[in-house]
Amino acid sequence: MSVGITARLRAPLPARADMGAILAGSWAQLSPADLAHRPVRLDGDRSVPFGDLFEITGAPAGRITVQGDLGRADRLGAGLSEGAVVVDGNIGDDAGLAMSGGSIDVRGNAGARAGGAESDGRRGMTGGELLVRGNAAAEPGTRMRRGLVVLAGDVAGHAGPGMIAGTVIVVGNAGPAPGRWSKRGSIVALGPIEIPPTYRFACTYQPDHLRLTFLRLRSRYGLMLDERYLTGCYRRYSGDLAELGRGEILAWTAE
Amino acid sequence: MKIRGVFIEDTFAEAFTMRVARLIITGRTARWAREAAVKLTGFATSVIGCKLEAAIERELAGEETPDGRPGFSVLLMTMSKDDLPKRLIERVGQTVLTCPTTACFDGLPDAPDRVGVGSALRFFGDGFQASKVIGGERFWRIPVMEGEFLVQEKFGMVKGVGGGNFLMLARSADAALEAAEAAVAAMSGRTGVILPFPGGVVRSGSKVGSRRIKSMIASTNDAFCPTLRAVTDTQLPEGVNSVLEIVLNGTDADVIAGTMRDGIDAACREGIVAITAGNYGGKLGPHHFHLRKIMAGASA
Repeated sequence: MSVGITARLRAPLPARADMGAILAGSWAQLSPADLAHRPVRLDGDRSVPFGDLFEITGAPAGRITVQGDLGRADRLGAGLSEGAVVVDGNIGDDAGLAMSGGSIDVRGNAGARAGGAESDGRRGMTGGELLVRGNAAAEPGTRMRRGLVVLAGDVAGHAGPGMIAGTVIVVGNAGPAPGRWSKRGSIVALGPIEIPPTYRFACTYQPDHLRLTFLRLRSRYGLMLDERYLTGCYRRYSGDLAELGRGEILAWTAE
Repeated sequence: MKIRGVFIEDTFAEAFTMRVARLIITGRTARWAREAAVKLTGFATSVIGCKLEAAIERELAGEETPDGRPGFSVLLMTMSKDDLPKRLIERVGQTVLTCPTTACFDGLPDAPDRVGVGSALRFFGDGFQASKVIGGERFWRIPVMEGEFLVQEKFGMVKGVGGGNFLMLARSADAALEAAEAAVAAMSGRTGVILPFPGGVVRSGSKVGSRRIKSMIASTNDAFCPTLRAVTDTQLPEGVNSVLEIVLNGTDADVIAGTMRDGIDAACREGIVAITAGNYGGKLGPHHFHLRKIMAGASA
Protein backbone atom coordinates (compact mmCIF):
# COMPACT_ATOMS: atom_id res chain seq x y z
CA MET A 1 0.00 0.00 0.00
CA SER A 2 1.32 3.42 -0.93
CA VAL A 3 2.13 5.81 1.91
CA GLY A 4 1.82 8.76 -0.43
CA ILE A 5 4.44 11.37 -1.09
CA THR A 6 7.53 12.12 0.98
CA ALA A 7 9.27 15.49 0.78
CA ARG A 8 12.69 15.44 2.41
CA LEU A 9 14.55 18.73 3.00
CA ARG A 10 17.74 18.58 0.93
CA ALA A 11 19.70 21.09 3.08
CA PRO A 12 18.88 23.41 5.98
CA LEU A 13 16.68 26.26 4.85
CA PRO A 14 18.85 29.32 4.07
CA ALA A 15 16.15 31.74 5.21
CA ARG A 16 12.58 31.76 6.44
CA ALA A 17 10.49 30.02 3.85
CA ASP A 18 6.87 30.76 3.01
CA MET A 19 5.41 27.37 2.04
CA GLY A 20 1.85 28.62 1.79
CA ALA A 21 1.44 27.70 -1.87
CA ILE A 22 2.57 24.08 -1.58
CA LEU A 23 -0.65 22.48 -0.37
CA ALA A 24 -3.21 25.18 -1.08
CA GLY A 25 -6.16 24.10 -3.18
CA SER A 26 -6.17 20.70 -4.80
CA TRP A 27 -2.95 18.75 -4.32
CA ALA A 28 -3.80 15.24 -3.19
CA GLN A 29 -3.68 13.75 -6.67
CA LEU A 30 -0.59 15.62 -7.85
CA SER A 31 2.54 13.65 -8.69
CA PRO A 32 5.90 14.49 -7.08
CA ALA A 33 6.91 16.19 -10.33
CA ASP A 34 3.83 18.41 -10.30
CA LEU A 35 4.26 19.30 -6.65
CA ALA A 36 7.92 20.09 -7.24
CA HIS A 37 6.89 23.03 -9.42
CA ARG A 38 4.92 24.76 -6.69
CA PRO A 39 6.68 27.88 -5.41
CA VAL A 40 8.30 28.51 -2.05
CA ARG A 41 9.12 32.12 -1.19
CA LEU A 42 12.41 32.63 0.60
CA ASP A 43 12.93 35.67 2.81
CA GLY A 44 9.77 37.22 1.48
CA ASP A 45 10.97 37.96 -2.04
CA ARG A 46 12.80 35.16 -3.82
CA SER A 47 10.63 32.33 -5.21
CA VAL A 48 12.12 28.88 -5.71
CA PRO A 49 10.45 25.64 -6.73
CA PHE A 50 9.51 23.27 -3.92
CA GLY A 51 11.53 20.60 -5.68
CA ASP A 52 14.74 22.64 -5.39
CA LEU A 53 14.53 22.62 -1.61
CA PHE A 54 13.03 19.18 -1.05
CA GLU A 55 13.60 15.76 -2.55
CA ILE A 56 10.10 14.62 -3.43
CA THR A 57 9.37 10.92 -3.88
CA GLY A 58 6.46 8.48 -3.75
CA ALA A 59 3.09 8.41 -5.44
CA PRO A 60 -0.06 10.46 -4.85
CA ALA A 61 -2.35 8.88 -2.26
CA GLY A 62 -3.79 11.90 -0.52
CA ARG A 63 -0.95 12.00 1.98
CA ILE A 64 2.36 13.85 2.21
CA THR A 65 5.09 13.48 4.81
CA VAL A 66 7.46 16.42 5.11
CA GLN A 67 10.81 15.66 6.69
CA GLY A 68 13.66 17.84 7.93
CA ASP A 69 14.14 20.80 10.25
CA LEU A 70 11.22 22.99 9.26
CA GLY A 71 11.44 25.43 12.13
CA ARG A 72 11.97 28.20 9.57
CA ALA A 73 9.19 26.98 7.28
CA ASP A 74 6.08 29.10 7.68
CA ARG A 75 2.52 28.76 6.43
CA LEU A 76 2.79 25.08 5.57
CA GLY A 77 -0.73 23.81 4.92
CA ALA A 78 -2.14 27.30 4.47
CA GLY A 79 -5.50 26.98 2.76
CA LEU A 80 -5.37 23.19 3.05
CA SER A 81 -8.65 21.65 1.94
CA GLU A 82 -7.88 17.95 1.51
CA GLY A 83 -5.53 15.13 2.31
CA ALA A 84 -3.33 14.24 5.23
CA VAL A 85 -0.12 16.15 5.95
CA VAL A 86 2.47 14.77 8.35
CA VAL A 87 5.30 17.03 9.47
CA ASP A 88 8.05 14.83 10.82
CA GLY A 89 9.56 17.42 13.17
CA ASN A 90 9.09 21.07 14.06
CA ILE A 91 7.24 23.57 11.92
CA GLY A 92 7.42 27.37 11.73
CA ASP A 93 4.68 29.96 12.06
CA ASP A 94 1.16 29.92 10.66
CA ALA A 95 0.92 26.19 10.00
CA GLY A 96 -2.53 25.30 8.67
CA LEU A 97 -3.38 28.96 8.20
CA ALA A 98 -7.07 29.27 7.30
CA MET A 99 -7.27 25.60 6.36
CA SER A 100 -10.71 24.33 5.44
CA GLY A 101 -10.27 20.56 5.38
CA GLY A 102 -7.84 17.68 5.56
CA SER A 103 -5.46 17.13 8.45
CA ILE A 104 -2.01 18.24 9.58
CA ASP A 105 -0.11 16.14 12.10
CA VAL A 106 2.96 17.96 13.39
CA ARG A 107 5.22 15.50 15.19
CA GLY A 108 7.25 18.28 16.84
CA ASN A 109 6.69 21.86 17.96
CA ALA A 110 4.79 24.55 16.08
CA GLY A 111 5.43 28.26 15.75
CA ALA A 112 2.97 31.04 16.30
CA ARG A 113 -0.62 31.10 15.12
CA ALA A 114 -0.97 27.41 14.24
CA GLY A 115 -4.37 26.96 12.64
CA GLY A 116 -4.74 30.72 12.56
CA ALA A 117 -5.89 33.41 10.18
CA GLU A 118 -4.35 35.81 7.72
CA SER A 119 -3.55 39.06 9.50
CA ASP A 120 -6.37 40.81 7.66
CA GLY A 121 -8.62 37.74 7.45
CA ARG A 122 -11.96 37.66 9.25
CA ARG A 123 -11.79 33.91 9.63
CA GLY A 124 -9.09 31.43 10.40
CA MET A 125 -9.65 27.70 10.05
CA THR A 126 -13.01 26.74 8.62
CA GLY A 127 -12.53 22.98 8.78
CA GLY A 128 -10.10 20.12 9.10
CA GLU A 129 -7.89 18.96 11.94
CA LEU A 130 -4.50 20.22 13.11
CA LEU A 131 -2.55 18.23 15.66
CA VAL A 132 0.68 19.50 17.20
CA ARG A 133 2.31 16.79 19.28
CA GLY A 134 4.86 19.13 20.83
CA ASN A 135 4.56 22.67 22.16
CA ALA A 136 2.98 25.58 20.33
CA ALA A 137 3.86 29.25 20.30
CA ALA A 138 1.22 31.88 20.95
CA GLU A 139 -2.17 32.36 19.36
CA PRO A 140 -3.07 28.96 17.98
CA GLY A 141 -6.57 28.82 16.47
CA THR A 142 -6.87 32.54 15.86
CA ARG A 143 -10.36 33.45 14.64
CA MET A 144 -11.16 29.86 13.75
CA ARG A 145 -14.66 29.31 12.45
CA ARG A 146 -14.80 25.50 12.48
CA GLY A 147 -12.43 22.59 12.81
CA LEU A 148 -10.21 21.11 15.48
CA VAL A 149 -6.81 22.19 16.78
CA VAL A 150 -5.15 19.82 19.23
CA LEU A 151 -2.00 20.93 21.04
CA ALA A 152 -0.53 17.97 22.87
CA GLY A 153 2.14 20.00 24.65
CA ASP A 154 2.17 23.45 26.20
CA VAL A 155 0.97 26.67 24.61
CA ALA A 156 2.83 29.93 25.04
CA GLY A 157 -0.49 31.72 25.56
CA HIS A 158 -3.45 33.43 23.94
CA ALA A 159 -5.01 30.21 22.63
CA GLY A 160 -7.99 30.73 20.35
CA PRO A 161 -8.15 34.51 20.20
CA GLY A 162 -11.30 35.74 18.51
CA MET A 163 -12.68 32.25 17.94
CA ILE A 164 -15.96 32.19 16.05
CA ALA A 165 -16.53 28.44 16.53
CA GLY A 166 -14.57 25.20 16.46
CA THR A 167 -12.48 23.53 19.13
CA VAL A 168 -8.98 24.06 20.51
CA ILE A 169 -7.74 21.33 22.85
CA VAL A 170 -4.64 21.92 24.95
CA VAL A 171 -3.25 18.86 26.68
CA GLY A 172 -0.39 20.62 28.46
CA ASN A 173 -0.29 24.07 30.01
CA ALA A 174 -2.71 26.33 28.17
CA GLY A 175 -0.89 29.45 29.26
CA PRO A 176 -2.35 32.88 29.88
CA ALA A 177 -5.27 34.66 28.26
CA PRO A 178 -7.05 31.84 26.41
CA GLY A 179 -10.18 32.54 24.40
CA ARG A 180 -9.95 36.31 24.44
CA TRP A 181 -12.60 37.95 22.27
CA SER A 182 -14.11 34.62 21.30
CA LYS A 183 -17.72 34.63 20.14
CA ARG A 184 -18.37 30.89 20.19
CA GLY A 185 -16.25 27.78 20.12
CA SER A 186 -14.59 25.65 22.76
CA ILE A 187 -11.22 25.77 24.39
CA VAL A 188 -10.60 22.51 26.21
CA ALA A 189 -7.83 22.47 28.79
CA LEU A 190 -6.62 19.18 30.15
CA GLY A 191 -3.80 20.86 32.06
CA PRO A 192 -3.37 24.18 33.85
CA ILE A 193 -5.20 27.16 32.44
CA GLU A 194 -5.69 30.75 33.53
CA ILE A 195 -9.34 31.64 33.16
CA PRO A 196 -9.71 35.22 31.92
CA PRO A 197 -11.83 37.57 34.01
CA THR A 198 -14.26 37.90 31.13
CA TYR A 199 -15.30 34.25 31.49
CA ARG A 200 -17.87 33.20 34.07
CA PHE A 201 -18.09 29.80 35.76
CA ALA A 202 -21.22 27.80 34.85
CA CYS A 203 -20.97 24.27 36.22
CA THR A 204 -18.91 21.10 36.54
CA TYR A 205 -20.12 18.31 34.28
CA GLN A 206 -19.18 15.64 31.75
CA PRO A 207 -19.46 16.89 28.15
CA ASP A 208 -20.29 13.85 26.03
CA HIS A 209 -18.93 15.40 22.86
CA LEU A 210 -15.41 15.39 24.28
CA ARG A 211 -15.50 11.61 24.55
CA LEU A 212 -16.27 11.42 20.84
CA THR A 213 -13.43 13.79 20.04
CA PHE A 214 -10.91 12.01 22.26
CA LEU A 215 -11.86 8.60 20.86
CA ARG A 216 -11.41 9.98 17.37
CA LEU A 217 -7.96 11.32 18.27
CA ARG A 218 -7.13 7.88 19.58
CA SER A 219 -8.30 6.00 16.50
CA ARG A 220 -7.24 8.49 13.84
CA TYR A 221 -3.92 9.75 15.21
CA GLY A 222 -3.02 7.24 17.90
CA LEU A 223 -3.07 10.05 20.46
CA MET A 224 -3.68 8.13 23.65
CA LEU A 225 -5.15 10.53 26.15
CA ASP A 226 -5.44 9.29 29.68
CA GLU A 227 -8.74 7.63 30.52
CA ARG A 228 -9.38 10.22 33.23
CA TYR A 229 -9.94 12.82 30.53
CA LEU A 230 -12.62 10.66 28.95
CA THR A 231 -14.43 9.80 32.12
CA GLY A 232 -13.74 12.87 34.21
CA CYS A 233 -15.51 16.14 34.83
CA TYR A 234 -14.90 19.56 33.35
CA ARG A 235 -15.48 23.01 34.73
CA ARG A 236 -17.40 25.03 32.19
CA TYR A 237 -16.79 28.75 31.85
CA SER A 238 -18.86 30.85 29.46
CA GLY A 239 -17.29 33.71 27.57
CA ASP A 240 -15.86 35.87 26.32
CA LEU A 241 -18.49 38.01 28.00
CA ALA A 242 -16.80 41.07 26.56
CA GLU A 243 -17.92 39.66 23.22
CA LEU A 244 -20.93 37.51 22.22
CA GLY A 245 -20.26 35.25 25.20
CA ARG A 246 -21.38 32.01 23.64
CA GLY A 247 -17.98 30.42 23.72
CA GLU A 248 -16.71 28.17 26.46
CA ILE A 249 -13.62 27.02 28.28
CA LEU A 250 -13.85 23.44 29.47
CA ALA A 251 -11.20 22.83 32.08
CA TRP A 252 -10.66 19.26 33.21
CA THR A 253 -10.86 18.88 36.94
CA ALA A 254 -9.72 16.06 39.17
CA GLU A 255 -12.61 16.75 41.56
CA MET B 1 -41.86 -31.67 5.19
CA LYS B 2 -41.59 -32.50 8.88
CA ILE B 3 -39.04 -31.38 11.45
CA ARG B 4 -38.98 -33.48 14.61
CA GLY B 5 -42.55 -34.47 13.87
CA VAL B 6 -43.79 -30.94 13.22
CA PHE B 7 -45.43 -30.42 9.85
CA ILE B 8 -44.02 -27.49 7.84
CA GLU B 9 -46.76 -26.22 5.62
CA ASP B 10 -46.00 -25.52 1.96
CA THR B 11 -46.68 -21.81 2.14
CA PHE B 12 -44.87 -18.52 2.51
CA ALA B 13 -44.68 -15.38 4.61
CA GLU B 14 -45.41 -12.26 2.62
CA ALA B 15 -43.42 -9.19 3.60
CA PHE B 16 -43.16 -5.56 2.58
CA THR B 17 -40.49 -3.03 1.80
CA MET B 18 -40.09 -0.57 4.66
CA ARG B 19 -37.70 2.25 5.52
CA VAL B 20 -35.27 1.58 8.33
CA ALA B 21 -33.13 3.67 10.66
CA ARG B 22 -30.72 2.27 13.20
CA LEU B 23 -30.13 4.33 16.33
CA ILE B 24 -27.33 3.79 18.80
CA ILE B 25 -28.30 4.91 22.27
CA THR B 26 -25.59 5.13 24.89
CA GLY B 27 -25.70 5.98 28.55
CA ARG B 28 -23.59 6.29 31.65
CA THR B 29 -24.59 2.71 32.39
CA ALA B 30 -26.28 0.01 30.35
CA ARG B 31 -29.30 0.46 32.58
CA TRP B 32 -29.96 4.01 31.45
CA ALA B 33 -29.27 3.24 27.81
CA ARG B 34 -31.78 0.41 28.08
CA GLU B 35 -34.35 2.66 29.73
CA ALA B 36 -34.23 5.02 26.77
CA ALA B 37 -34.22 2.20 24.22
CA VAL B 38 -37.23 0.55 25.83
CA LYS B 39 -39.20 3.80 25.84
CA LEU B 40 -38.09 4.66 22.32
CA THR B 41 -39.36 1.35 20.99
CA GLY B 42 -42.52 1.28 23.10
CA PHE B 43 -45.92 1.19 21.38
CA ALA B 44 -44.27 0.27 18.10
CA THR B 45 -45.54 -3.20 17.31
CA SER B 46 -47.31 -2.61 14.03
CA VAL B 47 -47.81 0.18 11.53
CA ILE B 48 -51.48 -0.73 11.64
CA GLY B 49 -51.91 1.25 14.83
CA CYS B 50 -48.51 2.60 15.89
CA LYS B 51 -47.28 4.43 12.77
CA LEU B 52 -44.00 2.54 12.97
CA GLU B 53 -42.46 -0.74 14.04
CA ALA B 54 -39.44 -0.74 16.29
CA ALA B 55 -37.50 -2.84 18.77
CA ILE B 56 -34.12 -3.25 20.36
CA GLU B 57 -31.74 -4.95 17.98
CA ARG B 58 -29.00 -5.83 20.46
CA GLU B 59 -26.98 -4.64 23.42
CA LEU B 60 -23.63 -3.01 22.63
CA ALA B 61 -20.42 -3.04 24.61
CA GLY B 62 -18.52 0.21 25.08
CA GLU B 63 -16.04 -0.73 22.35
CA GLU B 64 -18.91 -0.87 19.84
CA THR B 65 -20.38 2.58 20.44
CA PRO B 66 -19.25 5.99 19.18
CA ASP B 67 -18.64 7.43 22.64
CA GLY B 68 -17.24 4.32 24.28
CA ARG B 69 -20.14 3.92 26.68
CA PRO B 70 -22.50 0.94 26.95
CA GLY B 71 -25.47 1.13 24.66
CA PHE B 72 -28.21 -0.44 22.63
CA SER B 73 -28.92 -0.44 18.94
CA VAL B 74 -32.53 -0.20 17.86
CA LEU B 75 -34.21 -0.41 14.49
CA LEU B 76 -37.16 1.82 13.65
CA MET B 77 -39.17 1.13 10.51
CA THR B 78 -41.95 2.89 8.66
CA MET B 79 -43.84 2.14 5.48
CA SER B 80 -43.00 5.43 3.80
CA LYS B 81 -39.84 7.39 3.28
CA ASP B 82 -41.51 10.61 4.39
CA ASP B 83 -42.79 9.13 7.62
CA LEU B 84 -39.51 7.99 9.09
CA PRO B 85 -38.04 11.44 9.88
CA LYS B 86 -41.23 12.49 11.65
CA ARG B 87 -41.30 9.39 13.79
CA LEU B 88 -37.62 9.66 14.64
CA ILE B 89 -37.91 13.27 15.70
CA GLU B 90 -40.91 12.71 17.92
CA ARG B 91 -39.61 9.52 19.48
CA VAL B 92 -36.02 10.60 20.09
CA GLY B 93 -37.31 13.91 21.36
CA GLN B 94 -39.70 12.35 23.83
CA THR B 95 -37.78 9.31 24.98
CA VAL B 96 -34.02 9.77 24.57
CA LEU B 97 -33.70 13.50 25.06
CA THR B 98 -35.65 13.07 28.28
CA CYS B 99 -33.66 10.13 29.63
CA PRO B 100 -30.76 10.82 32.04
CA THR B 101 -27.18 10.45 30.77
CA THR B 102 -28.06 9.21 27.29
CA ALA B 103 -26.75 10.24 23.87
CA CYS B 104 -28.09 9.23 20.47
CA PHE B 105 -26.05 8.34 17.37
CA ASP B 106 -26.65 7.15 13.83
CA GLY B 107 -26.14 3.43 13.34
CA LEU B 108 -26.21 3.51 9.54
CA PRO B 109 -23.30 5.82 8.71
CA ASP B 110 -22.85 4.45 5.20
CA ALA B 111 -26.46 5.00 4.13
CA PRO B 112 -26.60 7.66 1.41
CA ASP B 113 -30.12 8.73 2.39
CA ARG B 114 -29.83 10.98 5.45
CA VAL B 115 -32.68 12.35 7.52
CA GLY B 116 -32.41 15.24 9.94
CA VAL B 117 -33.05 14.41 13.58
CA GLY B 118 -30.62 16.42 15.68
CA SER B 119 -31.10 19.26 13.24
CA ALA B 120 -34.76 19.42 14.31
CA LEU B 121 -34.36 18.57 17.99
CA ARG B 122 -31.77 21.31 18.45
CA PHE B 123 -34.56 23.86 18.60
CA PHE B 124 -35.45 22.52 22.03
CA GLY B 125 -32.28 24.31 23.06
CA ASP B 126 -34.09 27.61 22.50
CA GLY B 127 -31.10 29.26 20.93
CA PHE B 128 -28.62 27.99 23.53
CA GLN B 129 -27.79 24.85 21.53
CA ALA B 130 -24.36 24.43 19.98
CA SER B 131 -22.96 22.03 17.45
CA LYS B 132 -19.66 20.24 17.00
CA VAL B 133 -18.36 18.68 13.83
CA ILE B 134 -16.36 15.61 14.79
CA GLY B 135 -14.82 13.44 12.11
CA GLY B 136 -16.95 15.14 9.46
CA GLU B 137 -20.24 14.51 11.28
CA ARG B 138 -22.20 17.22 13.02
CA PHE B 139 -23.53 16.65 16.51
CA TRP B 140 -25.84 18.89 18.47
CA ARG B 141 -25.34 19.73 22.11
CA ILE B 142 -28.68 20.60 23.59
CA PRO B 143 -28.56 22.09 27.08
CA VAL B 144 -30.85 20.28 29.52
CA MET B 145 -31.30 20.48 33.26
CA GLU B 146 -29.00 17.50 33.81
CA GLY B 147 -26.22 18.91 31.62
CA GLU B 148 -26.24 18.35 27.87
CA PHE B 149 -27.95 15.99 25.46
CA LEU B 150 -25.76 14.99 22.53
CA VAL B 151 -27.50 13.89 19.34
CA GLN B 152 -26.21 13.37 15.84
CA GLU B 153 -27.54 15.77 13.25
CA LYS B 154 -28.49 13.23 10.59
CA PHE B 155 -29.35 9.56 10.56
CA GLY B 156 -29.05 7.07 7.74
CA MET B 157 -32.15 5.55 6.16
CA VAL B 158 -32.18 2.38 4.09
CA LYS B 159 -34.76 0.08 2.58
CA GLY B 160 -35.60 -2.91 4.72
CA VAL B 161 -38.14 -5.67 4.96
CA GLY B 162 -41.07 -5.83 7.34
CA GLY B 163 -43.51 -8.62 7.96
CA GLY B 164 -41.51 -11.82 7.93
CA ASN B 165 -43.55 -14.23 10.03
CA PHE B 166 -44.47 -17.72 11.02
CA LEU B 167 -47.26 -19.24 13.07
CA MET B 168 -46.89 -22.04 15.58
CA LEU B 169 -49.98 -24.24 15.68
CA ALA B 170 -49.97 -25.96 19.07
CA ARG B 171 -51.93 -28.55 20.98
CA SER B 172 -52.18 -26.20 23.97
CA ALA B 173 -51.56 -22.60 24.97
CA ASP B 174 -48.67 -23.76 27.15
CA ALA B 175 -47.04 -25.60 24.26
CA ALA B 176 -47.48 -22.58 21.97
CA LEU B 177 -45.89 -20.28 24.52
CA GLU B 178 -42.96 -22.63 25.16
CA ALA B 179 -42.28 -22.91 21.45
CA ALA B 180 -42.56 -19.15 20.98
CA GLU B 181 -40.16 -18.47 23.83
CA ALA B 182 -37.66 -20.94 22.39
CA ALA B 183 -37.97 -19.37 18.96
CA VAL B 184 -37.51 -15.85 20.29
CA ALA B 185 -34.44 -16.93 22.25
CA ALA B 186 -32.98 -18.36 19.06
CA MET B 187 -33.78 -15.24 17.02
CA SER B 188 -32.86 -12.42 19.39
CA GLY B 189 -29.77 -10.25 19.59
CA ARG B 190 -28.86 -10.44 15.92
CA THR B 191 -27.63 -7.61 13.81
CA GLY B 192 -30.23 -6.52 11.30
CA VAL B 193 -33.35 -8.14 12.81
CA ILE B 194 -36.01 -7.07 15.27
CA LEU B 195 -39.10 -8.75 16.67
CA PRO B 196 -41.38 -5.76 17.29
CA PHE B 197 -44.19 -7.44 19.25
CA PRO B 198 -44.30 -7.97 23.03
CA GLY B 199 -41.57 -10.43 23.92
CA GLY B 200 -41.27 -10.98 20.18
CA VAL B 201 -44.62 -12.81 20.06
CA VAL B 202 -48.08 -12.00 18.64
CA ARG B 203 -51.23 -13.69 19.85
CA SER B 204 -53.61 -11.61 17.76
CA GLY B 205 -52.66 -12.13 14.16
CA SER B 206 -54.88 -10.12 11.86
CA LYS B 207 -56.45 -10.37 8.45
CA VAL B 208 -56.87 -7.47 6.06
CA GLY B 209 -60.13 -5.57 6.60
CA SER B 210 -63.19 -6.64 8.49
CA ARG B 211 -66.21 -8.79 7.70
CA ARG B 212 -68.54 -6.28 9.29
CA ILE B 213 -66.99 -2.81 9.60
CA LYS B 214 -65.80 -1.32 6.31
CA SER B 215 -63.58 1.32 7.86
CA MET B 216 -61.43 -1.17 9.74
CA ILE B 217 -58.15 -1.97 8.02
CA ALA B 218 -57.50 -5.11 10.06
CA SER B 219 -59.42 -7.51 12.24
CA THR B 220 -58.86 -10.82 13.97
CA ASN B 221 -57.53 -13.65 11.86
CA ASP B 222 -60.61 -15.81 12.48
CA ALA B 223 -59.32 -18.67 10.36
CA PHE B 224 -56.64 -19.28 12.99
CA CYS B 225 -58.73 -18.62 16.11
CA PRO B 226 -59.36 -21.94 17.89
CA THR B 227 -62.54 -20.68 19.55
CA LEU B 228 -64.06 -19.99 16.14
CA ARG B 229 -63.22 -23.36 14.61
CA ALA B 230 -66.88 -24.35 14.44
CA VAL B 231 -68.22 -21.07 13.07
CA THR B 232 -65.71 -19.92 10.48
CA ASP B 233 -63.62 -21.22 7.58
CA THR B 234 -60.96 -22.53 9.86
CA GLN B 235 -57.44 -23.33 8.76
CA LEU B 236 -56.59 -25.16 11.94
CA PRO B 237 -55.79 -28.85 11.79
CA GLU B 238 -57.40 -31.23 14.25
CA GLY B 239 -55.85 -31.10 17.70
CA VAL B 240 -54.73 -27.47 17.51
CA ASN B 241 -55.98 -25.40 20.43
CA SER B 242 -53.68 -22.38 20.40
CA VAL B 243 -51.67 -20.40 17.87
CA LEU B 244 -48.90 -17.86 18.37
CA GLU B 245 -47.13 -15.88 15.69
CA ILE B 246 -43.69 -14.36 15.45
CA VAL B 247 -43.24 -11.31 13.24
CA LEU B 248 -39.78 -10.15 12.28
CA ASN B 249 -38.49 -7.12 10.44
CA GLY B 250 -34.99 -6.59 9.18
CA THR B 251 -32.54 -4.69 7.10
CA ASP B 252 -32.67 -7.20 4.24
CA ALA B 253 -34.42 -10.38 3.13
CA ASP B 254 -31.47 -12.68 3.68
CA VAL B 255 -31.10 -11.82 7.34
CA ILE B 256 -34.83 -12.41 7.83
CA ALA B 257 -34.72 -15.77 6.07
CA GLY B 258 -31.77 -16.90 8.15
CA THR B 259 -33.39 -15.76 11.37
CA MET B 260 -36.71 -17.43 10.45
CA ARG B 261 -34.86 -20.68 9.84
CA ASP B 262 -33.36 -20.67 13.32
CA GLY B 263 -36.62 -19.60 14.92
CA ILE B 264 -38.70 -22.24 13.21
CA ASP B 265 -36.13 -24.89 14.03
CA ALA B 266 -36.29 -23.92 17.72
CA ALA B 267 -40.08 -23.93 17.63
CA CYS B 268 -40.33 -27.48 16.28
CA ARG B 269 -40.80 -29.25 19.58
CA GLU B 270 -43.24 -31.35 21.58
CA GLY B 271 -46.77 -29.96 21.49
CA ILE B 272 -46.44 -28.19 18.15
CA VAL B 273 -48.56 -29.66 15.37
CA ALA B 274 -47.54 -27.48 12.45
CA ILE B 275 -45.75 -24.32 11.38
CA THR B 276 -47.40 -22.08 8.83
CA ALA B 277 -47.11 -18.45 7.73
CA GLY B 278 -49.29 -15.48 6.90
CA ASN B 279 -49.66 -14.09 3.43
CA TYR B 280 -52.08 -12.22 1.20
CA GLY B 281 -51.85 -14.52 -1.75
CA GLY B 282 -48.59 -12.97 -2.84
CA LYS B 283 -50.27 -9.92 -4.33
CA LEU B 284 -49.34 -7.24 -1.77
CA GLY B 285 -45.81 -7.76 -0.57
CA PRO B 286 -42.78 -8.19 -2.82
CA HIS B 287 -40.88 -10.42 -0.40
CA HIS B 288 -41.97 -14.06 -0.11
CA PHE B 289 -40.36 -16.31 2.47
CA HIS B 290 -41.22 -19.88 1.56
CA LEU B 291 -41.07 -21.95 4.70
CA ARG B 292 -39.92 -25.17 3.08
CA LYS B 293 -37.22 -23.45 1.05
CA ILE B 294 -36.00 -21.66 4.12
CA MET B 295 -35.92 -24.82 6.17
CA ALA B 296 -34.11 -26.60 3.38
CA GLY B 297 -31.37 -23.99 3.82
CA ALA B 298 -32.19 -21.93 0.77
CA SER B 299 -31.88 -18.17 0.91
CA ALA B 300 -35.07 -16.14 0.38
